[in-house]
Amino acid sequence: MTFELLLQSMIIGLSLGSTYILMALGLTLMFGMMHIINFTHGAVYMLGAFVIYYGFGQWGLPYGVTFFLAMLLLGIFGFVIERCIYRPVHGGVEATLVALIAMTTLIQSLGYPIFGTLDKHVPTVFHGMYAILGVGISAERLMIIPVAVVLVVGLYLFINKTKMGAAMRAIEQDKEAAALQGVNVHLVNAMAFGVGFALAAASGALMAPIFKLDPMMGEQPLLKAFIIIILGGLGSVPGAILGGLILGQIDSIVATVLGLEPAFLLSFVFIILLLLFKPTGLFGHEV
Amino acid sequence: MRQRYFAFLSLMLCTIVALSVGGPDRVQAADNVIKVGVSAPLSGPAAPWGIPHKQAMELVFEEVNSQGGLDIGGKKYKLEVVAYDHKYVIAEGVATVNRLIAKDDVKYLTILGGAVAKANEEAVNEAGVLVLPLAYAEGLVSPKNPLIFHSFPAPPETATFWKWVKEKHPEIQKLATISPNDDTGWWSIKVETQYTEKLGYTTVAKEFFERGLTDFNPILLRMLAQKPDIVSVNAAPAGSVGLIIKQARELGFKGRFIHIGQLDTSVVAGIAGKDHVEGMWVHGFVETPLPEAVKSWKERYTKKYGEWNATSIDFANPAFAFIAGIKKAQSLDPKKIAQALQSVEFENLWGKARFGGKDFYGTNNQIVYAMPFSEVKAGVATMIVQLPPPHN
Repeated sequence: MTFELLLQSMIIGLSLGSTYILMALGLTLMFGMMHIINFTHGAVYMLGAFVIYYGFGQWGLPYGVTFFLAMLLLGIFGFVIERCIYRPVHGGVEATLVALIAMTTLIQSLGYPIFGTLDKHVPTVFHGMYAILGVGISAERLMIIPVAVVLVVGLYLFINKTKMGAAMRAIEQDKEAAALQGVNVHLVNAMAFGVGFALAAASGALMAPIFKLDPMMGEQPLLKAFIIIILGGLGSVPGAILGGLILGQIDSIVATVLGLEPAFLLSFVFIILLLLFKPTGLFGHEV
Repeated sequence: MRQRYFAFLSLMLCTIVALSVGGPDRVQAADNVIKVGVSAPLSGPAAPWGIPHKQAMELVFEEVNSQGGLDIGGKKYKLEVVAYDHKYVIAEGVATVNRLIAKDDVKYLTILGGAVAKANEEAVNEAGVLVLPLAYAEGLVSPKNPLIFHSFPAPPETATFWKWVKEKHPEIQKLATISPNDDTGWWSIKVETQYTEKLGYTTVAKEFFERGLTDFNPILLRMLAQKPDIVSVNAAPAGSVGLIIKQARELGFKGRFIHIGQLDTSVVAGIAGKDHVEGMWVHGFVETPLPEAVKSWKERYTKKYGEWNATSIDFANPAFAFIAGIKKAQSLDPKKIAQALQSVEFENLWGKARFGGKDFYGTNNQIVYAMPFSEVKAGVATMIVQLPPPHN
């Protein structure tokens, strides 16, 4: 492997890792607070992409506006899911899990009659190629990195510098104690659902012009997101970031050197070895 | 509250079950109706193959029905398509074929997708069902599958196009291949590379990907590092090929792409960008020039479905073959129809067609006819040559 190829592979790995991080952030946020694994995340990613398809691709709205619209609409959808599914079962983990799996299947099944059976595509938003250290990479892939950074920083500031973020952290540490201190647990949970869904939507909206769209498009990113949050530690935002970057590099460099299957296998071997020595993942803690 | 929640959950699950089970697209069966099952990808990346196939079957049958139907042994029969979507997922392909045989009681089938057809090989043999697949898989056309009649030119036939490439474009010497990681991909690439290497081409990379993959960058980076002159995307569906071409161009690949299977280049251009697909060679997809029979088909197809799809031209083959076979056999028995198919000559949309290939497959169960090959010129799949099959 030449140095140029390695460098190109690392840059692609960084871009891949950024997409993984975006997917994993919302998932880990919701797990950290409510200890639920949101199986709807992949379906919400798909819906975010389809908002871009219709808003930007079909109706000609500016991409940026449609991007925020996707986050807003699906953030509201997160609120609705919290109100209609999570809250009625009083946060029961198993019942919520089953209901979210059912919701995912429902959304994906409805996707075909609503969006059509053929793959859809969205026109390129960021045209052209850039050279980084002599290595060519497309503008649209490069844009993933700053957008991921902005969203990660935004989430960090939201969680650490706002009253709502403090309430989220309080619930994550001890839900009952937080409630006794006057934290509106339902509202904060709804906000976590909203933010988690909005992040999944952002990820889908960002990927829409790069990949093709179909109702099942969220399944593979969801699998990657699961790997990342296990790797980084369930519920840990820094873990999701580091996990995403590591997996992005494994997927890119190993696949370039050895092929796709060894890369897929190695990511699991890496996780198994890590969990043997650190069962909570890189930054996780006992639940 | 809890009761209300469970009522809501039950309702939702019922809806999901209803949606996922779905129902075939068909009319009420009757005694004088011949049902032909279609198990094809009607959604997902391979839907650009499955949808025109189903529509082509329906159109051919509708035209026969409008003329009074088929006269078999002095009795008139109407033809009916019973179609299910397998999404190019093998498990769903097995389930749809089981359902067609056990529940819908069909005796004649088409299966689109090599991996799916291969997975159903034993089941259809045991059930004694006649199958006219559009599917690439090793051993599918073989004396041990006497009721399987492959109804689309396969790599052993279409690879002959490489001779034309060798003659017309001697500057192309290094080939890289990227295909789905299943029976369809393995066999297609095996046949193609054996053929090209005999012609003197060097295969510099041979990659396989899981269906559903969207980010091909790492695999392309590895492949393009070998500096191929041409990339074969044989057996890959249009949705995947669109992404492969788009990402390969982003990585700086300037050479040609080739697909000797079948591919809707307009779908590919929609994803990859029109300019990126320019110069691509494909088999079985022609937008221009169209012979009179195809022009007429185009008009009828567009009138019925509102939109033209050139994939339907070759994917109507199973319907034409089935009608020819059953007419000659004058029987509803799949075995008698199979016997008739081995010797009947019929018209498809490109002209005369028949089942042959005994010298290669050991049985006359492979459709043979003059195969059309196109080059994408100014965004349009333009026929450049029609080649006879390399075996009888």
